[in-house]
Amino acid sequence: MESPTTHTLIWVVATVIFIAVSSLAIGHLARWVARLSGKTLAFQERTFAGYAFAAPWLTGFALFVIGPAFFSIYWSFTKYGLPNPPEWVGPANYQRLLTDSAFRVSLLNSLYMTVFGVPAQLVVGLGLAMLLNQAIRGVRVFRMVFYLPVILAGNAAMLLTWRLMLSPNNGVINSILGFLSNAFLPFQWVMQLGIYVTEISNAAFAGLQRGNMTILENTIANGFPAADRLPLWYQSPLWSKPSLVLVGAWSAGMMMVVFLAALKNVPQTMYEAAEVDGASPLQRFRHITLPLIAHATFYNLIIGIIATLQIFEQAYILTRDGGPAQSTYFVAYYLWRATFRFNEVGYGAAMSWVLLLIILIITLVQFRLANRWVYYETK
Amino acid sequence: MPRRALSLLLVIGLFIAACGGSATSVAPDESSDAADQPDTSGEQSTTLRIALVDYTDDHKVWLEEEIIPTFQETYPDVAVEPIYLNWGTLNETYAGYFATGDGPDILNLGSEFISEYGDRLLPLNEYFADWTDLEQYHEAPLEATTWEGELRGLPWLVMPRVYMCRSDFLEEGGVSGVPQTFEEAVAQAENTTVLDGSTLSRAGVWTIGTDLQDWQEYIQFIWASGGELYKEDGSPNFDSPEAKTALEFMYNRRRAVLPNETIAALGEAQGSRLATDEVACLWGNAWGAPPLDDPSWDSIVMGPSAHPEGGEPIVQVFTDWLGIPQYTQQPDLAVDFLKLLGNQENQARYNEIFGSFSPRKDAEIENPIMEQQATLMAEHGRAFADIRAAARFSEILQAELPLYFQDAQDIDLTLQNIQDQYTQALQDAGKL
Repeated sequence: MESPTTHTLIWVVATVIFIAVSSLAIGHLARWVARLSGKTLAFQERTFAGYAFAAPWLTGFALFVIGPAFFSIYWSFTKYGLPNPPEWVGPANYQRLLTDSAFRVSLLNSLYMTVFGVPAQLVVGLGLAMLLNQAIRGVRVFRMVFYLPVILAGNAAMLLTWRLMLSPNNGVINSILGFLSNAFLPFQWVMQLGIYVTEISNAAFAGLQRGNMTILENTIANGFPAADRLPLWYQSPLWSKPSLVLVGAWSAGMMMVVFLAALKNVPQTMYEAAEVDGASPLQRFRHITLPLIAHATFYNLIIGIIATLQIFEQAYILTRDGGPAQSTYFVAYYLWRATFRFNEVGYGAAMSWVLLLIILIITLVQFRLANRWVYYETK
Repeated sequence: MPRRALSLLLVIGLFIAACGGSATSVAPDESSDAADQPDTSGEQSTTLRIALVDYTDDHKVWLEEEIIPTFQETYPDVAVEPIYLNWGTLNETYAGYFATGDGPDILNLGSEFISEYGDRLLPLNEYFADWTDLEQYHEAPLEATTWEGELRGLPWLVMPRVYMCRSDFLEEGGVSGVPQTFEEAVAQAENTTVLDGSTLSRAGVWTIGTDLQDWQEYIQFIWASGGELYKEDGSPNFDSPEAKTALEFMYNRRRAVLPNETIAALGEAQGSRLATDEVACLWGNAWGAPPLDDPSWDSIVMGPSAHPEGGEPIVQVFTDWLGIPQYTQQPDLAVDFLKLLGNQENQARYNEIFGSFSPRKDAEIENPIMEQQATLMAEHGRAFADIRAAARFSEILQAELPLYFQDAQDIDLTLQNIQDQYTQALQDAGKL
């Protein structure tokens, strides 16, 4: 029997040999191309050295990024359930996506998060950045504190903590809301209205999403929320997505940092001139700050949309397996489920390419629209 | 720099870089007094890996401090590596093992897995032919681990799921005992549920699975209604009246506990909900029940499932078992490990820690609570087995049932979706 040590050693040696050989091969190839192009001997030597040293990373990129991507395209045209070999089925997987109601649901859930989640993050990120742009004591500590959620947000332990905090029955958030609701009547009214609007609008969304208005009819039949009603968070299909919007807004620290850097670059003289001209703080924000940080807003928007369309951990951990009544089935979650739970690798691959296409289209549209509202100082 | 020198430097550099990590990782074993120690790494040149599911801390101690050392007395050159997993992610984990042919040598499996993995597990009849202990195993659990005439694993524990009710809460609600019919069960759920405004304080009934929408419980109610999961031709039977009766009952019972979907349900469990006064009745097993020595057992009564007119009470019986995948390179070692675990003493010890039943006939049941469960199992037990394309089926039910229970779609559409999707799943799996 082969010992684990020998096995590991064989693989280490084989890997080193492979890297060395592939590096030299790529270096020689680059040198040959340089020679064919009529470059000098010194240039050829530099080309060889550069490509040889970059080769391990180029090889890794080809093996672990380009290779799987090509396999994924191929698999998307096959019926592939492990451990059986892939079987060519043409565009059948893509055709199936058109009629798969769960895929439609997941796609619309992802778009919901993009429409509501990304703006929420932008608003919170900008708000925090403006607060932290003030000259106050301990501002560096606050910056660190508000950035921490970026590191922790996708962390399973943190998501489980959020789950405990959002427990409708005895979570800390509902306990605080309950206390405030009992203590201040106007707060209670606002919360009742907020609950009603959230539930009706989400029920309407869920009904349209499924082409079945049962949930909206039942929500309307339940009437205006009672005085002791609190948000149901991950327990209810009407609250699970708003829960994730909330958690997303909490982790807007990355956007905050980008906004903060942009705010630092806004010339103070512009504010002073506007103030002399009698502009109010709101006018200064609207006509100076927003246009001059538009490039940061654009960057955050693009990155936010891409990240939100790939949301997975929150659906898997916080709302447990796609949430109540499939309400947090997102495309990334559904493709994982199809691939690993249903063992439909080909179908999952097709879904991943459709997701890529959607992200690509949205990003391209954003870039086209950017010309209308994004201002670059260097232009 | 000359090209050859550069190439040589590159090769040497890569080699040193690759070896660097390896040298660091073995450094702790190469301590200064290593010469005085026996070379254990050389002795344990083989590793036997075992995937175990939802092991408690007590089980881990037992396995690592008693069982593995005992095994290594016979096989001193074999290292045994337990891999602790959980049921929630088991299917995708095992799919990876089978797909790559690289995984543990022994797999912990559940009742419904035989049809899923049976043909990928090692046939064991020949290996166990001379093991007289096998005669001591009950027929039913052995059947649950048999596929195409071959034993594919060794039963490890048997656990019934029963309804455990707090008699004080039943009395408070004017209920005489564990409900027997669907009507009684809905009335019991309603009368023993306590709402604090829009918040559930005590649930008349709850389950250890997904609150009141557990897919395994649904199967139990189909059986209790006199229905079956499959028609004679092997196709799914979710267009049957029994499937609808069972689902309607579960919905009505849910509404008895949660009058509408705006009620805040119970929070995360902090121990057994029976002991924390959160539920009046609980459908569960050792996982959801209080410890056997908990004083709350003085006021807990147990019974089988409710059933409609013309149906029968059911106690679902789950058998966990250990199988050996065909990809293993060391079947003999794995079989010997199973034989060690499966002897009378070790089976008894494992199940004693867990509060479950040994699948052996020579097991002794001394605890009165366990005796009562054994009686219920004997009278009403039905194995949770013959669940075809189990992984996908469970996913279908877990996706569709909540849509009905949470008022997102009606019962007919729900049953139609289950029927269609499960038919497709069985066809894809070559089981229809």
